[in-house]
Amino acid sequence: MKFRAWLALVAGILPVILLSVVLFLALYSKQAIHFNGWGFVVRNTWNLGNLYMDPIMRHGFQVQPGATYGILFLIVGTLLSTLFALLFAVPVGIGAAIFLAEAIPSHLRTWISFFVELLMAIPSVVFGLWGYVVVIPFLSRHFFPLLAATLGRLIPFFAGPTGSGYSLLTASIVLALMIVPIIAATLRDALVSQPVSLREAALGLGATRFEALWKVILPGARKTLIGATFLALGRALGETMAVLMVSGNALNYLPHNIYDPISTMAAFIVSQLDSALQDPTGMAVRSLAEIAFVLAIISVIVNGLARLLLLVWNNGQRTAAV
Amino acid sequence: MSMKTGASRRKTSVVLAATLAMGTMMVSHAALAQTRLLETGSSLLYPLFNLWVPVYGKSHPGVQITTQSTGSGTGISEAVSGIAQIGASDAYMSNAQIKMHPAILNIPLTISSQMINYNLPGLNGRHLRLSGPVLADMYSGKIRYWDAPAVRAMNPGVRLPHQQIVLIHRTDGSGDTFIFSQYLSFSTPSWNNSVGYGTTISWPAVQGGIGAEGNPGMVNACKGTPYSIAYIGISFKQAIEKAGLGEAMLKNRAGRFVLPEPKTIGAAVQAMASHTPADERISLVFAPGAESYPIINYEYAIVNANQDGKTAGAVKEFFSWALSHGNSPYFMKQVGFVPLPPAIVKLSEAQIAKIH
Amino acid sequence: MSTVTSTLERPLSKRRQIRLSRRIVSLGGWTLSGLCLLVLSVLMVWILMVVFLRGAGALKWATFATITQGNGGGLKNAIEGTLVLSVGALLLAVPFGVASGIYAAEYPNSPWAKTIRFLADVLVGVPSIVVGYFGYVAMVQWMGWNFSVAGGSIALAIICLPYICRTTELALRQVSNDLRDAAYSLGANERRVVLGVCLPAAMPSVLTGVLLALAVSVGETAPLLYTAGWSNFMWDGHLIKSPIGYLTYAIWTFINEPFASANRLAYAAAFLVTGFVLIINVLARFVLERRARQ
Repeated sequence: MKFRAWLALVAGILPVILLSVVLFLALYSKQAIHFNGWGFVVRNTWNLGNLYMDPIMRHGFQVQPGATYGILFLIVGTLLSTLFALLFAVPVGIGAAIFLAEAIPSHLRTWISFFVELLMAIPSVVFGLWGYVVVIPFLSRHFFPLLAATLGRLIPFFAGPTGSGYSLLTASIVLALMIVPIIAATLRDALVSQPVSLREAALGLGATRFEALWKVILPGARKTLIGATFLALGRALGETMAVLMVSGNALNYLPHNIYDPISTMAAFIVSQLDSALQDPTGMAVRSLAEIAFVLAIISVIVNGLARLLLLVWNNGQRTAAV
Repeated sequence: MSMKTGASRRKTSVVLAATLAMGTMMVSHAALAQTRLLETGSSLLYPLFNLWVPVYGKSHPGVQITTQSTGSGTGISEAVSGIAQIGASDAYMSNAQIKMHPAILNIPLTISSQMINYNLPGLNGRHLRLSGPVLADMYSGKIRYWDAPAVRAMNPGVRLPHQQIVLIHRTDGSGDTFIFSQYLSFSTPSWNNSVGYGTTISWPAVQGGIGAEGNPGMVNACKGTPYSIAYIGISFKQAIEKAGLGEAMLKNRAGRFVLPEPKTIGAAVQAMASHTPADERISLVFAPGAESYPIINYEYAIVNANQDGKTAGAVKEFFSWALSHGNSPYFMKQVGFVPLPPAIVKLSEAQIAKIH
Repeated sequence: MSTVTSTLERPLSKRRQIRLSRRIVSLGGWTLSGLCLLVLSVLMVWILMVVFLRGAGALKWATFATITQGNGGGLKNAIEGTLVLSVGALLLAVPFGVASGIYAAEYPNSPWAKTIRFLADVLVGVPSIVVGYFGYVAMVQWMGWNFSVAGGSIALAIICLPYICRTTELALRQVSNDLRDAAYSLGANERRVVLGVCLPAAMPSVLTGVLLALAVSVGETAPLLYTAGWSNFMWDGHLIKSPIGYLTYAIWTFINEPFASANRLAYAAAFLVTGFVLIINVLARFVLERRARQ
């Protein structure tokens, strides 16, 4: 009994850490939360104020003259890049999972899936390097003009100018590649573990193998797919380095087309901390902490939801993607 | 930022640190410790520090100086918080910052300037003429195309393309942003009233504008983006030439268009240096004089006057060396800087003497 | 069943026709899904080629033997720093992670174990930059550690902890209950059974999990930028108030420089980090695969 209690105590470090990260950020950003109010999430201006004038008092807080903190452009950038990343990643993930689970012989399957899933292990900053060095020049020279000339004629959001290559679309493509393996791996496991009898019944009814898969097996794994998509969503929302290196760090404006630069909440924290430290009143650093706090809350909710879904639907069985 | 490190907290920190269970390594390494200085900040000053440090290290083996290109904003804040012993900055600290941290000195080590660069395919060999108000209109989104009337009027005979201007600005807290926005503020009242100047400013929202990290990031972004414009420190001139980017002639206070050369920078120094106060916090931007280049500045070392005994000696010695040997033509030529005039060297020496 | 009979009753030619159109759709489906896999594989190969070809060209003996000097030199300091930070992170995370994992595996149905398991999964999803900013506020500023090995290691440990917890739990769950029952029937107490019998049996898988956590920490950047800082020199042995270099910083900073010598450092660092991470993952896979077969 004593042993068990001791273990339980040590295991308590996990909740303590999670709680203290969130609490610490909340406490640290308390002044900023009061000062910024709800306008924080609907204003489109991040302005430290005039740093070379003396601080003034506003709403009972000491700030630089002209200081306003609004992160609408970051929220939009984060949501749009995540949304587009999911739009690319979900279909590709499903396709890859299907092919891996059904079309490849099982002795090869292990190694081919492993190869593709290794994408998950590649560090974010290496994706950033690849995006920065080869993807941006490739997209801006060849792919974007082509896309604008074709799809751009139909959908205004895809029309030019095609800009510099640092863009919403570039960020989404790199993000998509980072989250595809989560979806592919989880779904492949679910497909393989569907009962054989289901498939046999469908085949026996005269369905082709693909029809059996598409109409019978895949719907059975729908819940796993939704859970995995949530996990991927969580990862995409918080991805930092790769996005920082390819997104163009847009400031204070919303993208008008898919080739416009954006910035995300996570990337903005990295790029702006040293600027924020210039503010002698400290409100800028606290407002950045507010972004980190908001991001922490969002990710806890999204990941919590994803795990709950997978937990309830899979009866507590573990999924492949950590 | 008002997080103080009380004695009790320090104690907890030491206890916690000990739990890392790597204590044994501490003893063995610390015994042969040399004096280590961390220099961080201005990416404009970084190339010069990288020339200085190896040479200095040869004659002063007891000192190890780490150099880091993080932007002037970081240079100032890390010198203030004590993370770095030497902060490098193209910007002096504001009155409010000085009031909060009276022990921090702003010591000019040399004089630098800033180029306005652009990537206009086919036109990069020509020096376009640009003025403060035109640049202000570009960066506030009033001028969106390269062939706008205001730009054309300034550059007769140049066939400017009808292409959207891609504005590049710094994302990090930057002394380059500081002096660039000073040029716009001092030359253009409307910019001064709306945006003003600072190491970080609220850039007007102009569609397609890119943020880049440090001068290196500016060079790369400009190089990779046709029809872009950027402000880049003179110490990156070689990189600019290698990248094949254009360099603008800027309109000075007297209304003449000039390039940043030793002659024009020297003229601006001549016009401004005598106004330098004892604490040396002064802008040299938009100097009067027919020959003066409009964007020049002191390159500051931001340093706390109160240092540990050993560190103080090392910092003072290095600064004295920087003011004498460090300002020699051998170094200055490679980065395009100009040395401090003797009167300013005296002021800087007086400030260095305050470090203890 | 009625559909089957009706299909069978139809004339042969008509049945053929339907089969053909459905076959084409099916073929299209297979092609599309195959294409998806192909695209992924091609992109993976592309990334690896960029990293390994350019990295191999940039690696020299001097990369390992000299420290970083301005925009050139080597990565000796960063390699050491990455090792120090990662080992530091593991020293902190392994005891806590393994203990939580044991608890979650051995008492799987207790509410506390369910909470731990759930929160570990949530903590995995907290963006690493959030942990980094927390580290900056809490350790660099509040504790006054400045940029330091301690700050960097603790930030990394927070990231590794949930991985180690969950992999340990999985490893212990694979230990058969017969073994546990046998140990109990011999009169061993709970502590003996868990630490003396189950944990040794699960040890290869536990160690694999620790290795994977090591790979994660070697590849992290965001939590270190504002906790560990950067240093051009070798570690001076101090845990606090002394910044340290690491490879991922070199990738991020030096790829951004307009100088070829700096870019080479970035490629070399990317080669080392990616190579290390991939080797660990392949090794781990072999170990887990072998144990799964047993």
